[in-house]
Amino acid sequence: MAYGKTMASPSRRLNYHTNPGGDIARPIGISFILIAMTPLVILPLTSIFIFGFGKGLDHFWEALVSPAAVFSLKLSLTTSSVATLCNVVFGLTAAWVMSKYEFKGSAALIIIISLPTAIPTAVAGTALLLVWGRSGLLGQFLEHTDYQIMFTTAAIILANIFVTFPLAFGVIKPALDNLDKSYEDAAETMGASRWQAFRFVVLPSLRGAIITGALLTFARSIGEFGSTIIVSGNLAMKTQTAPLYIYTRFNEGDFEGANAIAAVLAALSIAIFSLILFTRKRLEK
Amino acid sequence: MVYQAQDHLPKLARAIFAGCLALLLIIESSGCRRKSAAAREATITIYGFSVVKEGLETSILPDYKQEWEKKTRQQLTFETSYAGSEIVTNLIVAGAEADVAILAIERNADRLIRPEVTRNDWRKLPYGGIVNKTPMVIVVRRGNPKGIRDFSDLAKPGVGLIHCDPASSGAGQWSLLAIYGSELIKSEKRTGFRDERKAFDLLQRVWKNLKASPESARVARTQFERGEGEALITYELEAMQLLDKKLPVEIIMPKATIFSEHPVVIIDHAMSPPKYAMVELFVRSLWEPAAQAAWVNSHFRSVMDEKLNEKFPKIEMPFYVKDLGGWSKAYPEIVEGVWKHKIQVSGAGTN
Repeated sequence: MAYGKTMASPSRRLNYHTNPGGDIARPIGISFILIAMTPLVILPLTSIFIFGFGKGLDHFWEALVSPAAVFSLKLSLTTSSVATLCNVVFGLTAAWVMSKYEFKGSAALIIIISLPTAIPTAVAGTALLLVWGRSGLLGQFLEHTDYQIMFTTAAIILANIFVTFPLAFGVIKPALDNLDKSYEDAAETMGASRWQAFRFVVLPSLRGAIITGALLTFARSIGEFGSTIIVSGNLAMKTQTAPLYIYTRFNEGDFEGANAIAAVLAALSIAIFSLILFTRKRLEK
Repeated sequence: MVYQAQDHLPKLARAIFAGCLALLLIIESSGCRRKSAAAREATITIYGFSVVKEGLETSILPDYKQEWEKKTRQQLTFETSYAGSEIVTNLIVAGAEADVAILAIERNADRLIRPEVTRNDWRKLPYGGIVNKTPMVIVVRRGNPKGIRDFSDLAKPGVGLIHCDPASSGAGQWSLLAIYGSELIKSEKRTGFRDERKAFDLLQRVWKNLKASPESARVARTQFERGEGEALITYELEAMQLLDKKLPVEIIMPKATIFSEHPVVIIDHAMSPPKYAMVELFVRSLWEPAAQAAWVNSHFRSVMDEKLNEKFPKIEMPFYVKDLGGWSKAYPEIVEGVWKHKIQVSGAGTN
């Protein structure tokens, strides 16, 4: 995770050319980026907004405030927030433990933590079903209780946690690794408890990494689809997240309704990544 | 800061306590808990195959809710989810809390009959549990540029066919039976015996023109609507809804085609007797004249009243799955034996 690294260490922007006007590589480089990005990324993104607003602002607004749409957005925001909270707390703890202590199997543990990014989300959803479903490894014990995990909001949160599991850890761990250990040690020599050393020395310098990790987790989580559609049951006004709502609208042929919500999610992502950049810049100063 | 050492333990404890409380709150509020008995009594959760949506949502459910609340002065909420028939069935088997399932094929309804899902014999409902029907038809672009008159024309070169995926969608399976069965019925009429070789040959040639196999009838319709493919095999009601939307398409009624029939199942696992009574009342209302008229309004054909069906075109040689020996014979022989093991593996879109 490059975000964390650049944050903890002072950024090194090397200016090879003090005279930008004379450097032909600059305009060529920039145009290359833009030309390559246009068909790959920019056009598809633009189409969301073109179709979202295609039938006018009234139609966009109407699509946006329909109860099922509002519900799905709210559900996505809450489930993603909970998942983010869990993964940041876990990521921070795991990163701290692993950068502080060397132990057998820590490499294997890191690989396991990182695995969820590489696993197809549909597999993740099915795997959750095999654990928490009616005849699942753990689900079978819940079957005769008052509690149910699959096809509830809890299932959506579990799916979000699974697919975004390594993100916060991945940002915080390198930041911690780059942290100068002597401050923490010094604090402890001066009589600070381990908790105090962590709370007043380590934590403040990790602020940027934690915020970035949280935002990345949140952004990825709010767009999660593949696992959610398997574990949630896709009940409108109950377990239908924003991506599922969008998918359902697409299937119905309602491209405008779908893109109205998609535009909101896209705008949200823009805000999140601006925030990440802003945090980085501020903390690097 | 070091001198505050004593203060931090309580702080940490408080933080942990707050965390636990928050988690508990989440678990309690997020619906992790099964619904309280009272809430469950006042809600009917319906999982339907993709195309029953209009009929239910535009009139049947709101009308029933209104009447129920007027009669009993009790609130009634409907929760709904729609997807391909096989997908819906899998969700319910996996534990999704449904009260009623409306499915595209009998085999899916039978898959639900297991102790942890339902013991309810859906065949004992009115009309053998079949709530509505619709024939499988071909949809083409306006003017019928490829000159398609019957299933056999779908094998012509250059006809890109949109055909639902039989693995996930009921329409996909009905469509296989329609194509394959049409040749059986026709050959029987001509020669007195059913020519299975000819039927196989037809299905194989049609399958070679496959352009896309979407997961449900509704997704297939949307793809066709957006300009993919030259022909689409789907339910008549889907085709008529396309015409309602004033889209430039035409419906081709094959000479011989199958009526798809759609069962309703009450999922009685974990249902209290009063809840069961309420759900059964609702389910039986689906066969009342008002509901049958509502189905016909959304272009299903009625299973009850042929008078309601007068608005639909006549079919020269209509047939039902019972003419193919019922699902218990048609599924293993045609869907699995012919399509899955012989045609699908030989490759689609190879023309």
